[in-house]
Order: sequence, then structure tokens, then C-alpha cells
Amino acid sequence: MRTAILVLMALLAVPVSAETIEMKVNGLVCGFCAQGIEKTLRKNPATADVVVSLEEHLVAVATRAGQDIPDNVLREALTSSGYDIKAITRSDTPIEDIRARLASHEK
Amino acid sequence: MKRLKRRVGVALLLAAAMPGLAAAKPIAFAHGTTVMAEYGAGTMEEAQVFYAPTYKLSAGLGYLALDSEDGGLSRDIVYGRVNYLFKRWNLEDAQGNVFGWGGIGSAGTGTDDSELFTWNAGAQFDYETRRFYASLKTDYFDSSSFSHRIDTLQLGVAPYKHEFSTLATWFVVQGRQYTGGIQSGTEWALLLRLFKRGAWIEAGPTTDGKLQAMFMVNF
Repeated sequence: MRTAILVLMALLAVPVSAETIEMKVNGLVCGFCAQGIEKTLRKNPATADVVVSLEEHLVAVATRAGQDIPDNVLREALTSSGYDIKAITRSDTPIEDIRARLASHEK
Repeated sequence: MKRLKRRVGVALLLAAAMPGLAAAKPIAFAHGTTVMAEYGAGTMEEAQVFYAPTYKLSAGLGYLALDSEDGGLSRDIVYGRVNYLFKRWNLEDAQGNVFGWGGIGSAGTGTDDSELFTWNAGAQFDYETRRFYASLKTDYFDSSSFSHRIDTLQLGVAPYKHEFSTLATWFVVQGRQYTGGIQSGTEWALLLRLFKRGAWIEAGPTTDGKLQAMFMVNF
């Protein structure tokens, strides 16, 4: 019984892992023009971090633990910035890893 | 004196807008503001402030001063303008845009203190990749005593592909023509364009050795 309680407590103590949303976006050719993407996404209370890559046509958003941003909200955010989303995928890849991968490409 | 007052007024307007800057284009993005100031080789000076409620629409104020190459003609125009994005092509490695605008304002010609009603219409077509840029802009003003059009062509190449948060460098050839007796022939300039985040500056000499420069921010 004691073991079961300890296991249960350990499971409950594990934080819900934050999610990373990766969006493939067309028209991403100008850093100056794409500033609105980052600005709009950061306004969302569920956003923890944002990374934009022109090379990979990528906009990645790390969400706060246990939170998500629905696809329709993501599409609205990109549309209001003047861009089109081609695909949305979710993973538990830390956004720091994505940032590091992009930085290695820039070198 | 009146012209000086107007120019001071425009400078104050821009200065008032600057402290809030964070990120800039005739239309930046939804809820974004664009501030632009241009010095056109001694012939043209222009300043604009636009706010965009949506990514397709912006509205704001502008100021345009023109001095003909022979010094015999000057115009000071203050205007309100609405810009609209008619079409955008978001391609995988490129973007194309068609903008149009229209507005009304007040113009002084320097011959007396009278103010003339003026209207304005224009359009811009642009296409860019991360290594190539092309744009064609036409801007027409009309009043009871004058009309003129300013046509500007820009072709640019980037020596490297910039990233979202790194410095972008472009070499741009600009050709500009004025109608309405302001200037004859085409004014050519070679510009260095730099931008990073929401700040943009470009400057360079014309073939006559005059300065052509533009500054823009989005926030």
C-alpha cells in the first residue's frame, strides 16, 4: 500500500511536459515583414517561446506546461500577420533543440 | 515660414510616434504601426505614419515636399491616406504583393498662402525572394493647379540569405521619374539597404552625387 502511494505521488509529481507546435509557413522571405508573426503569437497567454526560421519556412511555438493553442487560433494568428500555414505538427521536442538546430545551419 | 512650420510639425509627429516603436511597410500586420521617412536627393522629402487594423488595410497621415530641379517649383502636401493590400501571393520561397492607396489632403505651392485641395492615388507591385527583390511604385497627386506623378522602380540583390533575427543586407538599384515639371529624365541611385527585426534603413548616392535615403520602422 505504501509503495503504491509512493508510486502515485511520484507520478503526480512529474510536471506535464510542455509542447512544441511547429508550423510550415509559405511566404517567409523577409525578416522585417514577418515581425508580426512573433508579436501576435507572443500575445497568446499559452505561448512560452517563439522561434521563426526563414530557411526552414518554420514558425515554432513552445506552449506553457499543460496548455495548448488550438489550430484555428494558430491559423488566425498567422493570417492576421499576412501569411499562410501549410501544416501544423505537435511534438515534445524542446524549442531550445529547434533553436540550436537552426543556429547550427546558420554557421 | 509656413513651410518650415509644416516641416517642424511633421518632425514632431514622428518624434511623438517614435518612443513606442518596437517593430514597419504601408501595411505591416494586424494592429501594427509603420513609420517612414524619406529624403529623395534634394527633390523630395516624405514622411508617413500608418496604423493597420488588419493585415490588408492601413490608414494614416503623410507629408510630401517637392522642389523642382531648377528651383522654380515647390509643393508642400499634407494628406490622409488609406492603403489596401489587393493581393498577396505567399509562395514557398517567395512573396508577391499588389498594394493600392488613395487619399485627400491640402497642398501649398509656395506662390502664395493659399491652400489647395488635393487628392492622391497610387499602387505598388512587389516580388521578393531571400536573394532578389523587385518593386514598382506609382504615386499620383492632383489639385486644381497642379498634378504630378512619381514612379519608382527598385531592383535588389542580397549577397547572403538573412535570417529572421539577423541583419539583412541588400544592394538596390533605384530608378525614379517625376512628371509635372518637377524633374526631367530618370534619377538613378545605388542604395545599401539594411534591416534587422523591425528597423529598416537604406541610403546611397544618386548618379548626380546626391543623397537618397529612407528609414522605416514597424511596431
